[in-house]
Amino acid sequence: VWSSVSSSQRILSLWLERLSTDRIAQQWRDAKGPSQPLVVFGKRGTLDLLVAVDAAAERLGLRNGIALAQARAMHPALTAVPQDQAADARLLDALADWCQRYTPLIAADPSDGILLDISGCAHLFGGEQKLRDDLLARVRCFGFSARAAIASTIGAAWAAAYFDGAAVTPAGGERTLLAPLPLAALRLPHETVAALARLGLQRIGDLLDLPRAPLAARFGTDLLRNLDRALGREDEPLTPGRPVAPYIAEKSFPEPIAREEDVLATVERLAARLKLALTARGDGARSLELALFRTDGAVKRITAGTSRPLRDPAAIRALFVERLAALGDEIDPGFGFDLARLSVVVAEPCPDEQIGLAGGEDQAELDRLVDRLSARLGRTRVARLIAQDSHIPELAVHALPAQSTAGAELGWDAFRRFRTDVGLSPRPLRLLATPEPIHDLLALVPDGPPVRFRWRRAWHEVIAVEGPERIAGAWWSEEEGGPARDYFQVEDRAGLRFWLFRAGLYRDIARATPRWFLHGMNA
Amino acid sequence: MLPMAFTTPCTATARAAFLPTEPSAARIERLRQKLFSVERATGLTAECGLPLELGIAAIDAALGGGLGCGALHEIAAERETQSPAATGFALAVTARAARKSLRFLDREAFCRPFCRLGGNASAHAGGRNSPGRRAVLWIAEDLSLCENGAPYGPGLDAAGIAPEELITVTATRARDVLWAMEEALRCRAVGVVIGEIRARGINAVATRRLSLAAAAGGTLGLLLRTAPDDAPCAFATRWIIGAAPSSLLATAERRHGIGPPRLAVRLVRNRRGHLGAWIVEWSSVEQRFELATHSELMAGAAIDRPHRAAVA
Repeated sequence: VWSSVSSSQRILSLWLERLSTDRIAQQWRDAKGPSQPLVVFGKRGTLDLLVAVDAAAERLGLRNGIALAQARAMHPALTAVPQDQAADARLLDALADWCQRYTPLIAADPSDGILLDISGCAHLFGGEQKLRDDLLARVRCFGFSARAAIASTIGAAWAAAYFDGAAVTPAGGERTLLAPLPLAALRLPHETVAALARLGLQRIGDLLDLPRAPLAARFGTDLLRNLDRALGREDEPLTPGRPVAPYIAEKSFPEPIAREEDVLATVERLAARLKLALTARGDGARSLELALFRTDGAVKRITAGTSRPLRDPAAIRALFVERLAALGDEIDPGFGFDLARLSVVVAEPCPDEQIGLAGGEDQAELDRLVDRLSARLGRTRVARLIAQDSHIPELAVHALPAQSTAGAELGWDAFRRFRTDVGLSPRPLRLLATPEPIHDLLALVPDGPPVRFRWRRAWHEVIAVEGPERIAGAWWSEEEGGPARDYFQVEDRAGLRFWLFRAGLYRDIARATPRWFLHGMNA
Repeated sequence: MLPMAFTTPCTATARAAFLPTEPSAARIERLRQKLFSVERATGLTAECGLPLELGIAAIDAALGGGLGCGALHEIAAERETQSPAATGFALAVTARAARKSLRFLDREAFCRPFCRLGGNASAHAGGRNSPGRRAVLWIAEDLSLCENGAPYGPGLDAAGIAPEELITVTATRARDVLWAMEEALRCRAVGVVIGEIRARGINAVATRRLSLAAAAGGTLGLLLRTAPDDAPCAFATRWIIGAAPSSLLATAERRHGIGPPRLAVRLVRNRRGHLGAWIVEWSSVEQRFELATHSELMAGAAIDRPHRAAVA
C-alpha cells in the first residue's frame, strides 16, 4: 500500500523544457529535414504568438509570447511550425508511461512535465541523486532537454525543477529551498503574481512571514494553499495516470532481451516471485499485465485475464504463451527490452488449493482451458449463455465471457421453471443473429400460416405447421417494443424445419404492412 | 513404436488364430481385438469406458457397440441447406453423451458412498457444476454462425443439452477453430467438442492431430461440416446427414403439428465395421434415436422428393 503521508513522500518533478520543439526536431532528423532555428506558434486571440522556441532560436533572442510576424521580421530564416497540442500530449503520455520503470506512481503534469512519486524506490537505483541522474541521462539520450529535482512535496520539487533549485532537497528543507525562488514557482496564475509584484513581493521568502489572514482576504485561498502544500504543511496527493497494481514484480536486464523464450522465462521467474507475495496475503491474480520496456523508450503492455484466482507460475506463463502467439508481430522487440514488469492488476482472495476432490480438479482444468482460449482468441470470443428475463426470443439469451462467469448463476433454472409454467412452445436449436426477411410468401388467409415461401433464393413448400405463438412487443421499452409477432414452426417438403414469424397484424395494416421473417432453424 | 506394436502381439496371436478348432465368429472377434490393440498403440484409439450407444441395434452393430468416445467423428450436411439437420444429429449425440456421463456418475455414487460426499463438497466449492458432468464446447467460425445461426440456449435445453455446460467459442479463421478444437479435445474436463467448419479441405495431418488429441483427452469430438468431403482423413467415422420429412403419409394436404425430427443418416466411413444408410427419428424427450421403417424411406424418396433424387 502506498502511503501518501507527506513526511515520507518523495517526489521527483521532471520538466521537459522544450517538448514541442524537441518532438519536431526529432521527426525532422528522421526525415533528414533542415535544422534551423525552430519556433512553434499558436493562435492567441487573433494573433499568432510563439509558444515554444528551440535552443538556437533562444540564442537569437526569441522568447515565448513574441508575435510570429515580429519574429519573422527579426530573423527571416526562421522555421515556424504550427502548434499540435494533441501530439505533445501523446508524447508526454508515452514518456510518462516509460517513467513507470522507476515507480508505478506517475502523473503527467499538464503540458510539459511529469511527476514521479519515488517514495521507497530510490534505493533500487543507488540513491535519489543516482536515480535523478539516470533518468535525466536516459531522457536526454532520447533527444529531449530536461530538468529534474527531488523534494518531499510536489510543490517544492516542481519549483526546484522549473526554477533551478537544488537537485535534491532533503525532507524538511523546503523552506530554505523555496525562500529565494520567485513567486511564480508557487504555480500561481499570472494575475496573482503580477498583483503581488505591485506590492513589492517578489520572492517566496517575502511571503513566508506575512500574516496569513490579510493575504487570504486579498488574494484568495489558492495562494496560501499552494504555499502550504509546497512547504508540506498541507497534504497534496499525487493522482497517478494509471491505477497502481497491488502486486508488482520486475526484472531489469543489463543486456536487452529480444527472444520470445527469454521473455517467457522472465514471466515465469517474475510469476514465481509474485506467488510468494500472493500466497502470503491469500490472494490470486484475476488479471495480469506484462509491461516490456524497450531500450528506445517504447513500452509494450500485454494483458491476460483468468477465470479464477491464479498463482501458479507455469499457468501464468502458459497464458502469456497464448497472448504472444495471438499478438505475433505486434510485439516488436526492436533492439530489445531492458526491463520487464509483471503486475497483478486485479487480485481476488484465493482459497488454498483443494486436493483430491475430482469435481474441483475438473473445474480447475476447464478454467485453465477457458483462460488459454480467451488469451489467444479474445475474451469475448469464449462465452457462456446466460438466460435473460425477456420473452423476446433474441433477448432471452445473452452470451457473456466465460472467464467472468465461471461458477456464476446463469439463470437457466429460472428459465426451466418459466417454460413449464407457461408451457412455452418449442424453440429452435439455432437462432439467426438478425431475423432474415422472407420473400414471396403465400398464406391462405391473411393472418394464417405460410403455404410457400422463398428464402435465400430457394423455394420451400410447407407441409406441416405448428403455431401461431404470439409474442407481443414490450410496450414499456423502446428496444423491445416492436410490433407483435406471430411465430410458426414449419416443415417443408424436404424435411427442413424453420422458425419464422410475421411482424405485425393485418388488422393494423393501415399503420404498417406485416412482414415475414425467418428467425431460426431446427433439426 | 509402430513396428514394435505390430511384431510383439501379432506373432504371439497369429499362430493361435489359425488353430483349426476355433469357430469363425470367435476368430473374427479375436482378430478385431488384435486390430484394436494395434490401433491403441498408435495412439489413435483410447480406452475410455464404454462406447456411446446410439440406441438403434443396427447402427450400434455397425459401429461395433457405438461411437468411440476418445475419437473424432465427422458429421457433414448433405448440402449447405441441410446443415440444421447435421447440427441436430450432432446435438442429439452430444445429449446422449451428456446423459451417459450422468448415468455413469450415478453408478459411481451408488457403489461408493464416499464419492457422493466428495462430489457434494466440490459442488459447493465449484458453485454451479455438478461433478461428472463434463463441459460441452461448441467452436465455430464467425461466418458459419452468420449463415446458420448461433446456438440458442432455450432450444438446446429442450434438446437435452444443459446450457450451463455449454461454452461457445468463435474464431475468425478455420485454423483458429482447429487449434481451439485440439486444445479442448486434450482437456479432461471437456466431454464433447463440436467444431464447426465451412472450409472445404482439411488436411490429413490436421485430422490426425485432432484424433490424437481426442484419444489423449478421452473426449468425443464432432466435426460439423456444411458439405461432405471425401478427402483422406483420420476420423473414426464419417456421416452424411440430410433432413427427412417427419411423416410421409399425408403429403397431399398440409398438416397441423410437427412430429419429432427425422434425419436421413448415411455412414460413409467406419473404421470398425460396415457402412449403411438409415432414416432415424430423434425423440428429445426420451433422448434416444428410433429407426423409421425402411419401406417408408423407399417410397418417400422416390415419389416425394424429385429434386433430391436428381441431386443424388
